[in-house]
Amino acid sequence: MAQKSAPAADQVFTAFEVEALPHLDRLFRLAMWFERNRAEAEDLVQETMMHALQSFHRFQPGTNCRAWLTTILQNVRRNRRRARGRSPLVDDPDDRIGQATPFVPPVPQELTDEDLLGALGRIPAPYQEVIVLCDVEELTYKEIADALAIPLGTVMSRLHRGRALLRAELGASTQGLRSRRAEI
Amino acid sequence: MECRDVREMADSFLAEELLTETNHEILRHLDTCPVCRTDLDGRRALREGMQRAFHRAPNLGPSPEFAARLRTTLQNTAQQAPARGGARFPGWWALAATVLLAVALGLVYRGRSAATGALARAAVGDHRNCALQFRLAEKPISLENAAQRFGTMYRVLEKLPPDDVATAVGPAQVLERHSCVYDGRRFAHIVFRYRGEPVSLLVTAVDGAFRLTLPGDARAHVTSSGRIDDMSVVSFRTSRQMVFFAGDIAQNDLLKLAEAVSIPLSRGLSATDGVGARSGIGASEDMYALDLGIVGSSAIRLQAR
Repeated sequence: MAQKSAPAADQVFTAFEVEALPHLDRLFRLAMWFERNRAEAEDLVQETMMHALQSFHRFQPGTNCRAWLTTILQNVRRNRRRARGRSPLVDDPDDRIGQATPFVPPVPQELTDEDLLGALGRIPAPYQEVIVLCDVEELTYKEIADALAIPLGTVMSRLHRGRALLRAELGASTQGLRSRRAEI
Repeated sequence: MECRDVREMADSFLAEELLTETNHEILRHLDTCPVCRTDLDGRRALREGMQRAFHRAPNLGPSPEFAARLRTTLQNTAQQAPARGGARFPGWWALAATVLLAVALGLVYRGRSAATGALARAAVGDHRNCALQFRLAEKPISLENAAQRFGTMYRVLEKLPPDDVATAVGPAQVLERHSCVYDGRRFAHIVFRYRGEPVSLLVTAVDGAFRLTLPGDARAHVTSSGRIDDMSVVSFRTSRQMVFFAGDIAQNDLLKLAEAVSIPLSRGLSATDGVGARSGIGASEDMYALDLGIVGSSAIRLQAR
């Protein structure tokens, strides 16, 4: 029996290796961004990939494997957070975060990677999530809604507000930097 | 289309989320509006800058050691995983024998399969949408709140099963208890971490249409199991409730969890309506074979103690 099942297992792993493992780098970067801790990110990605391997028969070839993996990663994150008692049953950050967005100064032309990632890291996490998934990972709004288990309308409103917050943050931080440089 | 409209939709335009007609309108506007072109170029540059920054940040990438270790782990897991399908359940012959026993006892209520199958599907739907994807139309409420509004069954489930359950194949730990509604049916929902996966225990009150008459001499502790929508499902019923276990784990593992909690759970639930005391039938005898009307279902005898 073991000899018969071995080729099937090899085939599954080979297909998984071709389809899913090339996304490891981007998946890990997502996990690192969300967790801000390498050990946590490694645990999260390993659990995600194990789930993905075990559920690989459900993946539909031709669909977006990165979006599928991202959805699994977000499910694993939610389960882990819930196990640690960090999240309420229904987490709606829009209930807690003010609706108003600040004045948006123009985004400076010359921005370093540190400027961009620093500003992104300073806006509230729910907005970071949708911006990273949309603008960096290029998932569709529908794929983001599925991954984060939130309505499509919430994705769009968070993107709108999050981008405004990001631009405000970039404008403010680089203005501050310029004035400090001028003082020097 | 006005400049304000274009600015409002500019990011969705870049994300290719707009209708073709709207894209054309924006492109027509951009042909004649240098200010909006500059605005759009700025947004595109920001988007591309974010992608570059994210993908080349050295502190965000996986280490080569981790990537190699993960690949080996996955390969080993793939080799060890049982093949999906008929070979998955080594105890199948034993189960088949128990099916015959259940039939002989007259405990399989085939006429009710459609209705109970719908209940099982609702339970699996609740597991998938609540425990895995967190997207129910109605917010879950606490079991205490549910007890006040819908009956004492929910209060029993605040403490039962206990938070840590030992099974024959490993521990199960309760992650959460609440009451939620799926497909119009209210469940008490207990989410376990078991065999590395979230697994749901769902209890729902059975209305008059589903209620069964308990045979006083029933001694077998029988449940049903099967697969629905790629989820393993195990069920049993008490005098007034249907109890489901659902999860993406091996069927035999789910049965072990059901075995571990079914007797005390059944006793606790039956105590809420006094059936055991009234009829003289032990709560552990209130379990039934139940044909779920699902592919691969079978009646299985649980180990009572």
